[in-house]
Amino acid sequence: MTALLDSAALDQAGDTGTTLVRLIRAEFMKIRTTDTGWLFLTGFIVFTAIALTINGFGHHYQLYPQHGLVSPAQAVAQAAQARTPAGVAAMAASMMTSGQRIAVMFALLLGVLVVTSEFANQTAAVTFVTVPRRATVIMAKVAAAACCGALFWLVATVLAAVATPLFLYSQHVSTSLAGWMVARSVLLNLLAFVAWGVFGLGLGAVLRSQLVAVIAAIAVYAGSFGTELIFTALYNVFHQGWMLGAPVIGPAVASEVMTTSGPAFPYAPPGWVGGVIIIGYTVALVAGGIALTKRRDVI
Amino acid sequence: MVVVLAVVVIGGLVLLVRRNRGGTRTGRGGPEGAGPGFPDRPLGGRRVSPALMSRGRIEVCGLRKEYRGVRAVDDLSFTVEPGRVTGFLGPNGAGKTTTLRMLLDLVEPTAGTATIGGVRYADLDQPIRRVGAVLEAGAAHRDRTGRNHLRVVCQSAGIPLARADEVLELVGLGVAANRTFRGYSLGMRQRLGVAAALLGDPQVLILDEPANGLDPEGIRWMRDLLRTLAMQGRTILVSSHLLGEMEQLADDLVIIAAGRLAAQGTVASVIGSMTYLSRTLVRTPELEKLAAVLGRDAVVTLAGDGDAYITGADAVAIGDAALRAGVVIHQLVTQLPDLEAAFLELTAGKAAIR
Repeated sequence: MTALLDSAALDQAGDTGTTLVRLIRAEFMKIRTTDTGWLFLTGFIVFTAIALTINGFGHHYQLYPQHGLVSPAQAVAQAAQARTPAGVAAMAASMMTSGQRIAVMFALLLGVLVVTSEFANQTAAVTFVTVPRRATVIMAKVAAAACCGALFWLVATVLAAVATPLFLYSQHVSTSLAGWMVARSVLLNLLAFVAWGVFGLGLGAVLRSQLVAVIAAIAVYAGSFGTELIFTALYNVFHQGWMLGAPVIGPAVASEVMTTSGPAFPYAPPGWVGGVIIIGYTVALVAGGIALTKRRDVI
Repeated sequence: MVVVLAVVVIGGLVLLVRRNRGGTRTGRGGPEGAGPGFPDRPLGGRRVSPALMSRGRIEVCGLRKEYRGVRAVDDLSFTVEPGRVTGFLGPNGAGKTTTLRMLLDLVEPTAGTATIGGVRYADLDQPIRRVGAVLEAGAAHRDRTGRNHLRVVCQSAGIPLARADEVLELVGLGVAANRTFRGYSLGMRQRLGVAAALLGDPQVLILDEPANGLDPEGIRWMRDLLRTLAMQGRTILVSSHLLGEMEQLADDLVIIAAGRLAAQGTVASVIGSMTYLSRTLVRTPELEKLAAVLGRDAVVTLAGDGDAYITGADAVAIGDAALRAGVVIHQLVTQLPDLEAAFLELTAGKAAIR
């Protein structure tokens, strides 16, 4: 089309990717061009460093129990257990996923902000006027939130991959980080980060209000762990066996069941059940978010 | 321990982000008019071809929007022609913003259609290349620079990023391109909104209260810009509360009240339809004698210095009556209502419905 405002730029080719690809790039640009994304990344690096340090101290005391805290017999048994091949592999896996339980909340909250900041800053109208295909806009945000989750995972994994061998060496134990147990934990950790990033995005798309969505995200995450208490209490009354495994319906518990190599809690269902549940919640929230975004007026 | 630390870190981050978002202006706003540091670049370009112009006609037909049983817009129909500036007027709550948002597919109509060149906004191919919209002066992320705000739009729409710099220069914001939106004055925010609307070099511009917050020089800049764009053959639909400004700027008017159409036409025809609001200024040393010979419908109001305003009889009738009665007339001037008077008459009693 002829440029009516004497534009040299419009005569050049712009981003010729599909609408979805263009929108995904735009979402990254949005994250990159505000302080929020950088603050989260900085906070995440600081948190991971702290988590690695604390986790390292914890494992140190597993290998070298303090006699004042446990009996000598217990100390010997604990140290022996920690030094078995399985024990060392579990220690390496734990170090490689240090702070995971809390770290995924960074992905969760950034996912929330990716969509709710559009409404908090009144840029939703600009976004939807630029591209009226709202489902595509949300899908681009899903992709951006998933990539942010993966980026958090990458940062955590790189930091852990540097710190873990140093830690194991300093403790005079050796194991391969390429072992299946470690690799499995690291890959499931990636899945958890991506799932929580998208979970946050779906929650934000459904709720729209930034404050409400941030509070809801923290409440859903922290509150999930309360399901264990609730179902234990219910089991004590009704004595139904399935109630002991039921806490897995809490999203954060499901995520933990998915990423834990052994049972996350007594009578926990297999890891894949946790994976199906957390992915199920995520898909449902995104689907709900898209449906509501398409239907709602932007005012 | 880890949990406590994590909660502290995450809590601190959330607080920091919220504080940054809620911060006050830094006073870096600078001048908001087209004064020093805000060079206005004259618009270049050429006229839109007649074929393209026809694609710029806005048609609103039987549009209705209900919110919980309240009709914000009620059976509204009007057209906006290319090559003209059309003022969209109405009291607060009349449904102007809702109508504009229905036009842009941001609000779903309960009934009726709103099309641009016969096509719904949502169905336009590359809508930003056809239609530019200025909806709210505050519609950008507070931490993002003006340039990055526009680049995000360019990236989403597949427009070269260099276009952002062109439109920033065009609206006189080149020197403030790298300031964050938080530091923009209201006038600068309006200019940024206009810049965003011009990114796609659109045939149609839809502007919701674009002059809000502009100083007199900024208002003149906006007027010149919109007039120039209209002269190029573009369709300009602009809502405003500034009736005096609209009287100078607009070719056509669409006036709505309580969600319904109150008047549509050229500025002259809308004001002309209110001739019963016109009055005649008369200067005569024999006012009492003149009043006695005018018909019973004529109402004479003293205006001081021997002048009087007469309504209920036009200048021709007054002149004829004076001639017949031998009354000396020193001055006889017809005063038509201005847009403000016409607007208030057309919307009288309807502003407070919502």
